Amino acid sequence: MTASWRLSAAEVKEWLDSLLAAGRRVIAPAGDGGLMLFRQVSSAGEVRLEDTAHARWSPKEFLFPRTETLMSYTFDHSSVQLAPPQPAATEQVLLGVRPCDAAGLTRLDDVFLGGEEGDQLYADRRLRTTVVSLACAAARPECFCTAVGGAPDGTEGSDAQLVPLPAPQGYLLRALTPKGRELVGGPEPGWPAATEQDWEQARTQAQRVAAEIGRSPLTGDLPGRLMDAFELPIWSTLAERCLGCGICAYVCPSCSCFDISDQASAYCGTRCRSWDTCTLTGFTRHASGHNPRPDQPSRYRQRVMHKFAYFPLESDGRLMCVGCGRCVALCPAGMDIRSAVETTATEVPS
Amino acid sequence: MNASGYVPQLMRISAQRDETSDVRTLRLDQLNRAPLSWRSGQFGLFSVFGLGESAFTIANPPTRGDHIECTFREMGKVTAGLRRLSVGQVIGFRGPYGNSFPVEEWRTKDLIFVGGGMGMAALHSPLRYVLDNRDDYGDVVILNGARGVADMVYTEEMKEWASIRDVQVVRAVDPGGETPEWDGEVGLIPQIFEKLGPQPDNHVVIVCGPPVMLHFMLQSLDRLGFHPEQIVTTLENRMKCALGHCGRCNIGPFYVCRDGPVITAAELKLLPPEV
Repeated sequence: MTASWRLSAAEVKEWLDSLLAAGRRVIAPAGDGGLMLFRQVSSAGEVRLEDTAHARWSPKEFLFPRTETLMSYTFDHSSVQLAPPQPAATEQVLLGVRPCDAAGLTRLDDVFLGGEEGDQLYADRRLRTTVVSLACAAARPECFCTAVGGAPDGTEGSDAQLVPLPAPQGYLLRALTPKGRELVGGPEPGWPAATEQDWEQARTQAQRVAAEIGRSPLTGDLPGRLMDAFELPIWSTLAERCLGCGICAYVCPSCSCFDISDQASAYCGTRCRSWDTCTLTGFTRHASGHNPRPDQPSRYRQRVMHKFAYFPLESDGRLMCVGCGRCVALCPAGMDIRSAVETTATEVPS
Repeated sequence: MNASGYVPQLMRISAQRDETSDVRTLRLDQLNRAPLSWRSGQFGLFSVFGLGESAFTIANPPTRGDHIECTFREMGKVTAGLRRLSVGQVIGFRGPYGNSFPVEEWRTKDLIFVGGGMGMAALHSPLRYVLDNRDDYGDVVILNGARGVADMVYTEEMKEWASIRDVQVVRAVDPGGETPEWDGEVGLIPQIFEKLGPQPDNHVVIVCGPPVMLHFMLQSLDRLGFHPEQIVTTLENRMKCALGHCGRCNIGPFYVCRDGPVITAAELKLLPPEV
């Protein structure tokens, strides 16, 4: 069994303060309850770890910023000077990350670190990041991690995990990777070891939350069935309400598409990459005006297919959706990717 | 791991040639990096500083590899800016990216190159490669179509190629695009192609043009009995990173920048119809 300890709520705060005192950049859910977001905190008191603390956006922006500089340059008629970006050198801790969001970060890893051409900017940041997830003690209506391979106490993408026990019992803390082990202070951090009974209680809690979510795993050859469904007319019905606003991608912990654009004056400029999304009209429009995805159904289909068919086909079946449910909760038109996948996959004549 | 995959190398425009009123070919010389090596069919991202990047095929073959050429049409912000530059000015280049035409597999075969409009630019490199190794290949037919006479590219080179042994050049314009002096064919490319009566035996057909031309060419080729394995095309989609990351050039699970741009009709058939 992985090394684990039992901490009171006060001890968790002390631990966070010690991380801050050691000069780590700590990013955690914080806010006044109305709008909770991941942000850099300066004291443990700002961090919100209670059951209801769910950040509006995923923490992906701390590995894959909304906008970042790829290079800067100065130029005139006959010469150009290029300045590559300076990678950030700060060690950062993403803390209080829900298991779905932690799993989402591993999808970004697949995109930016997989294949022949890794992304150095992402890799630098990833190397300096330690993820401490927070197991869920309650489900929200939009949650569906259990349908897509996750769990309320899932550990994919976590270096360490906090598991809240019913008050006033505090938390269990487990170190899952060497990075996590280092963060908790080595093999003997000074807290009492968690017992088998503690973990029994944690497992029971996770099972209860999974039952609350009530979504069984999507099974069968989902990518294959969706590929077969590519030309079905059902996509028009499914995408009827899609406004093409892109909020689903912006709040998604695994969406990784981006744009590259230059911001410049007459003699100097910056090349940036910024989040972008396949549901926007111009995403694939050619210079000629031809658009291989000319309408909203074809763009919405791309979103569903990428997450549930194309990505799994090259990632050993891993889906590019972790079931956080933000796209369901925040869509202004009430679109629901869960039913889109289920409906499409069952439309295919077997 | 690419240390700074987005930082281009610098190249100086050493020559330019206007193909039409809005299409230009540039010759680019590297300023300071080690000589590039590439294969026919690969592409690059060309930077106009202050404006952005555009993807173009590398138009010259590695057999003429002491510089880089590209042919582009002025369509948007970046290409308009590129056309405003003149000889001596500096642009950026990153690449080469993507796969390439299987020119070695084509040895001893008869080849038909079919290029529509700007699609001819993507055929320029493999065609020149073949002509630079003339003895290794069979007969070569070049069918080049455009909307009108004024839209024909590589006009001078076409004359030169037509004089090479066992090379036939057929030039065509769309109906209505001809002028009184036009001595080439008039008609849509698939019709002219069928009129040429090509036989599938020992042939490879290399096609590049707008999506609608490709669609009808594939139908013609099928009618004439060509196998999808004998048909090679090169795709183009809007792209930004060229590294398989930015997520916009895919056709189903096929990323044009990473898995293409060169693809056989047989492979294309396996992809969703989203070209």
